[in-house]
Amino acid sequence: MGSGRWSTDVYDAAERYRAARGTSAFAYSDHGATTVHPGLNPFGVRARESRDSAEHPASLAIAVLFDVTGSMNMVPRVLQTKLPELLGLLLRKGYAAHPQILFGAIGDATCDRVPLQIGQFESDNRMDDDLARIVLEGGGGGQKTESYELAMYFMARHTSIDCLERHGRRGYLFMIGDEMPYPRVRAGEVRSIIGDRLSEHIAVEAIVAELTTRYDVYYILPEGTAHAGDRQVLDRWRGLLGQNVIQLDDLDAVCETVALTVGLGEDAIDLDEGLDHLREYGSGAGRSVSRALAAIGAGHGGGTNSLVPADRVLRL
Amino acid sequence: MTHVAVVDLGYGDAGKGTVVDWLSSGAGPGGPVHAVVRFNGGAQAAHNVVTPDGRHHVFAQLGSGTFTAGVRTHLSRFMLVDPLALIAEVDHLAAVGVTDALERLTVDRRALLTTPYHAAANRAREVARGEARHGSCGMGVGETVAYALAHADDAPRAGDCGDPHTLRLKLARLRDRLAGELGPLPAPGVDACVEAFGAFAARVTLADDAYLGRLLRAGSVVFEGAQGVLLDEWHGFHPYTTWSTTTFANVDTLLAEAGAPGTAVRLGVLRTYATRHGPGPFVTEDASLTAALPDRHNGHGRWQGAFRVGHLDLVAVRYAIEACGGVDGLALTHLDVAAGRDDLRVCRAYDLGGRRAERLAPGPAGDLDRQAALTRCLFEARPVYGRMEAGAIETVANELDVPVVLGSNGPTVLDKRVLGRLLSRPVPA
Repeated sequence: MGSGRWSTDVYDAAERYRAARGTSAFAYSDHGATTVHPGLNPFGVRARESRDSAEHPASLAIAVLFDVTGSMNMVPRVLQTKLPELLGLLLRKGYAAHPQILFGAIGDATCDRVPLQIGQFESDNRMDDDLARIVLEGGGGGQKTESYELAMYFMARHTSIDCLERHGRRGYLFMIGDEMPYPRVRAGEVRSIIGDRLSEHIAVEAIVAELTTRYDVYYILPEGTAHAGDRQVLDRWRGLLGQNVIQLDDLDAVCETVALTVGLGEDAIDLDEGLDHLREYGSGAGRSVSRALAAIGAGHGGGTNSLVPADRVLRL
Repeated sequence: MTHVAVVDLGYGDAGKGTVVDWLSSGAGPGGPVHAVVRFNGGAQAAHNVVTPDGRHHVFAQLGSGTFTAGVRTHLSRFMLVDPLALIAEVDHLAAVGVTDALERLTVDRRALLTTPYHAAANRAREVARGEARHGSCGMGVGETVAYALAHADDAPRAGDCGDPHTLRLKLARLRDRLAGELGPLPAPGVDACVEAFGAFAARVTLADDAYLGRLLRAGSVVFEGAQGVLLDEWHGFHPYTTWSTTTFANVDTLLAEAGAPGTAVRLGVLRTYATRHGPGPFVTEDASLTAALPDRHNGHGRWQGAFRVGHLDLVAVRYAIEACGGVDGLALTHLDVAAGRDDLRVCRAYDLGGRRAERLAPGPAGDLDRQAALTRCLFEARPVYGRMEAGAIETVANELDVPVVLGSNGPTVLDKRVLGRLLSRPVPA
């Protein structure tokens, strides 16, 4: 029982709410933010780090970057509310024992105010705060291209991940969107947005090759978006990433899809077990995930990261 | 991942705040905590938390886990939300170093709003009751519930704050109805309220029905009860109760709605002695203890009345455990107080006019005549005391046949001692 300790004059309250730091959980941009939150600004960042600790002796870096421009319509907003489930899902289903998750956002460096936003790798729910601070652009170009190549450049050259550097195991990078990368990482954009001085542009194929030595890279295309199912977009990504292109017909299952992909890669589950988990969740995405992941499941055989110590595989 | 539900097995003030703070620090059975969910009562809750570096906050609407970075608060549909009190609480938290409490808050759109009109009506009624007052906190919590029962569709809810037109209509109707009943109320104008509540909506995330399910899947959740089971609207000692369900019933409902029934372990919080803030039956009250053990966080409330202290009442605690459907473990607080005194006794039975009663059988929810009769019995009951031979922890565990899983020797997380394992509940197939 209490005593009503806190009270405010009604005339005072509105002003105090306006003055209070902070906004609603998903609303950094809803409240008019048009510039990148300082915590997500890639400029001048040496490296976003995923590190082992006493608590997490075998960290696994997992990055999820999504397109925040207008052509995706409501997709980024749905992702902003769905993605906080990812960590719990990975741990609960035993897909990964010590995941460290980074969230980021991809815009268009040629016309957006916030072309690249990159959070931190976190092993607890602090990454949700990054998610909340992501500015949703809603501008979007009409030319089916976004600056994915810039995001890939940052992830290739400005992350330092113990799973690779100490344990020789690649991390996971997921990009969710419905458009294509520009053909080249442009030196001018890198300089103004990230701060590096490049002597020349880098072909997107070259940055993909560099990136895939560090991460297993996946592209997820949500259906119902502007360019969903667009052959040109799919073909472009298949050309770059091969079978690691996933068409997703049920956005509600985005966390399950990401988690399942990690589970398969870590050899913590086989595809049938994973699909059982999807059905258990009641997701209708089973068929498309199954279609998309069948190739990955088969292609990986024992998993790309097959050196999973037994104590990291938690079976339920 | 384990969800834990925390209720107070007495009249409140047992130390739910400090227990929820400890769980939220990640030391509990579920490891790191994602969110604290409030499931009853409103801003009249007063859950004290003290940090190891000496900062102190009385949590009223924000979850008592808020001192731990990243731990969220969700106010469920059962919560009564008072936006005016909330911003005062947020400002105080900022003053003690927690500047992002609003960012970590979500509020169910269906949660009822407590407004200045409810508070004014509450005070007008308590004044009219005079000496027969019920021990209300004077904030309008009971009025909020009563109005919503009578006018469910017109009751202002959190979701209305973002819709000035609807909110204005609802507030005007509320004010006019209460003033029609009680006479003109000393309360601010509707426009001022609309503006303040609108500012609340602009700063706080209002959540839809499905949000809690997502929260439960995202990580371990602590359900933080307010008041105590002995004040429950149906199982408390009528009419000295709160207008709120203080048992696990709301937690059970929320979990079932979220598709995760029965997934929370149930933790009861208990002091090594008894307290009651406000009027009503208190069989083991001892004036010498009230004088000897003033509470550092509770004084004489203008509306609530005196803070009273008595001996550990196992008859009442047993009743509380039965009334709330059982607990999986107990957290026993104020062990440091018990250790330093030899005048604390334990009540194992009541003397009811020559008849000995060791158990009070709970009745079905909803029979207030029966509860009022129980209240009359309790006013007549005399405690039968024994000594706490074995010490508080063993006495409680043995007499109640429930494991004491956590002991508290002081206000901070560093003063907590794990005494047993709070097993997680299996998810039913």
